[in-house]
Amino acid sequence: MAARWKEWLTGWAFVFPAVALFAVMGVYTIGSGLALSFASWNGFTPEWIWVGLENYADLLWADPSLAPGVRRAAWNTLQVCVAVPLLTVLISLPLAVTLNSVRRLRGLLRSVYFLPYVTTGIATYYAWRYLLEPEGSINLMLRSAGLGSLAQPQGWLANPSTALWTLILILVWSAVPTATLLYLTGLQAIDPSMVEAARIDGAAPRQVLRRIIVPLLTPMTAGIVLLGVRDSLHGFQIFLIMTNGGPGGHTNVLALETYELAFFKGLAPTLGLSSALGWLLFVGAVLLTLANARLLRRVR
Amino acid sequence: MASMKARILSLAAAATVAVAGCSSGGGGQPGEPAASGQSITMWTFKQSHAAALQKAAEQFTAQTGIGVKVEAVTPDDVFKSKIQSAAQTGDLPDVLEAHAAGEDLELGASGLLADISGDVNDAWKGRFLPSTQNAGVLDQGRIDRAAADSPFKQAKAGSMYAVPFTAGAFGIVYANKEKLQAAGLSPDTPPASWEEFVAALKTSTEKDPQAGGLSLGLKVSQVGFNWVYQPLAHAYLGKEKFQGLFGKDTAAGFGSPDGVKTLDLYSQLTPYWMPGATTLGIDEADIAFAQGKSAYNVGGTFTLAFLAQNGMSPDKVLTFPIPPSAAGAHKDIVMAPLALTSLGVTSTSKNRAAALKWLDYVTSPSGAGLVAKESLDLPATDLGAEAATLMGPELAALQKYFTGDPASTYDAGDTTFFPGGYDQVKPGDAFVRLSPLKELDPAQAGKELDAIFGAMWKSAE
Repeated sequence: MAARWKEWLTGWAFVFPAVALFAVMGVYTIGSGLALSFASWNGFTPEWIWVGLENYADLLWADPSLAPGVRRAAWNTLQVCVAVPLLTVLISLPLAVTLNSVRRLRGLLRSVYFLPYVTTGIATYYAWRYLLEPEGSINLMLRSAGLGSLAQPQGWLANPSTALWTLILILVWSAVPTATLLYLTGLQAIDPSMVEAARIDGAAPRQVLRRIIVPLLTPMTAGIVLLGVRDSLHGFQIFLIMTNGGPGGHTNVLALETYELAFFKGLAPTLGLSSALGWLLFVGAVLLTLANARLLRRVR
Repeated sequence: MASMKARILSLAAAATVAVAGCSSGGGGQPGEPAASGQSITMWTFKQSHAAALQKAAEQFTAQTGIGVKVEAVTPDDVFKSKIQSAAQTGDLPDVLEAHAAGEDLELGASGLLADISGDVNDAWKGRFLPSTQNAGVLDQGRIDRAAADSPFKQAKAGSMYAVPFTAGAFGIVYANKEKLQAAGLSPDTPPASWEEFVAALKTSTEKDPQAGGLSLGLKVSQVGFNWVYQPLAHAYLGKEKFQGLFGKDTAAGFGSPDGVKTLDLYSQLTPYWMPGATTLGIDEADIAFAQGKSAYNVGGTFTLAFLAQNGMSPDKVLTFPIPPSAAGAHKDIVMAPLALTSLGVTSTSKNRAAALKWLDYVTSPSGAGLVAKESLDLPATDLGAEAATLMGPELAALQKYFTGDPASTYDAGDTTFFPGGYDQVKPGDAFVRLSPLKELDPAQAGKELDAIFGAMWKSAE
């Protein structure tokens, strides 16, 4: 009995620091954030004013100066959420298959394609801004190639019809390295004899890819899509740094709106609204994850 | 042991303070005296003020023996979150420099800044430019207009949470003299009207389509609305009709014939924005101007310092306020100086007397002049005839836009006619869609702006 008690105590002694840390840094902050979504607070007053579900109602429909902007941001977020994971998969899967089949300079090529991941996000966003300026390299290249009609005289981020899609492409550019790496890991785990058997049976490379490799990589695809959705829902740095939601609100997304409500409304008591929007994003992420998991299960 | 020592030392310091009996100097008579040998801390959100304040602090320490440690916390959102964290953990500094007539009042009403109305007497207030004197005072009107959940509702009218520190005005146009000359325009004569200004923009843009236009940081969408449109509309309509634009009555709003006319004037800028203006922040637009990427730039009186920091000599720019339309009610625009930043003593400060003494010094003509000269930022302290000596000729010259016919005076600090919970980003976005995006014509923009302000009034109810 004493030995079991001692074992139990030893176990808890090892686990306690992690549990305590999670209780303080995890449970407390999550609980506090959830509670804040039912309150009005500017971050400074000693007391919160409890408002019940008012923050959620204001964001969704009740406040005429807030809800329309949130809806526009939701539409932009949805476009990002669908386009980024989809394009990431469409680019990184063939890229990984190609890299996997390359025999010469494989290490170098993998390093080159992984480079966007290891460079700091904010620094690359600034670099992209220079490339996308009216006199930036992208326009310069287009004009040099005789495609001046495609160049954007105001820059790619100043034109409402190109701004959001330019940001989406940059997000895809930064997501492709991780996705490619995951696919490469998945490809190396596929039993080569399966591919070999298919080839002996006369399957063309396209059929091998479609009928064998892609289905076997479904778990990887699920992971990549989930990561893409998560990043698209929560990421706001690129929107803040590159466009600040502009021009004229055309690239505002929900995560940026959350940040703006928390820090850029003077000292108005909007932290509760910001928290409520954060929780709505969380619910959205959970629903999308469940839908994605279900869809992929059906495909499998 | 260390804690015991600290307690003994603080008790000794408190005893020294109690017996020293020295007053705050200047106009202030704080409730408790400050002691030599004390040290206070101050946070500012303005990087350009930190070195200047530290230099003033050295003078202050030499005079009083009180040390001052100044720390710049930038950008604004980091400053705000640091204050939030420090307020929760009780680690606020003794003095805060905040945005005047808004942020300082919010901090005070939230209990972070002390009410210093009993310490700042009339003589001290009398040092400041008249339009800035009460910037740190919470009046009943502001309490009445505040939303129901605003901390203002819990605060006492008449509380003074800060003294004005720097002042200035928005809507100052900076023109590159070399580019004006190259375009055949006079480098010394500002345009007399909006129409002349637009014609000059046309000339400079035709001469240099890539770098002859107007820069403004429209990535912060509200700057076009605040810095260009509002002074222009105020001069065109006169004060009463201008304020009517923002009211509940849409018959007098932005969609009214008068409102649409003002939007039409603003939209005349559309062909002349520098390429990519909507992707530039305020600082980036100023830098672009300093680098010669535009011929004109709109900013505030504070922009001169930033241009100088970025290599543009003040003598190479022609400055003038946004010119009024020749067809408008007023033929001049006078910019009422408003307090831009202010200084408050935190309510948790253990060194209140020393902090007030520092505020007293740094808002005195010598202290304010020293900071102004070092930071190239206009002080709220009226330096009178000594302005040019204390601040330098270029900075002093900007003050000439502050005086003139009271009827033509545009006061950006007057927010009494805005709806409670006024959010300038939403109308700012509509203005960007009007110009330069051309997604809305003036009549459509007028309707959209009326809808935006209507929603704000409804939300405020």
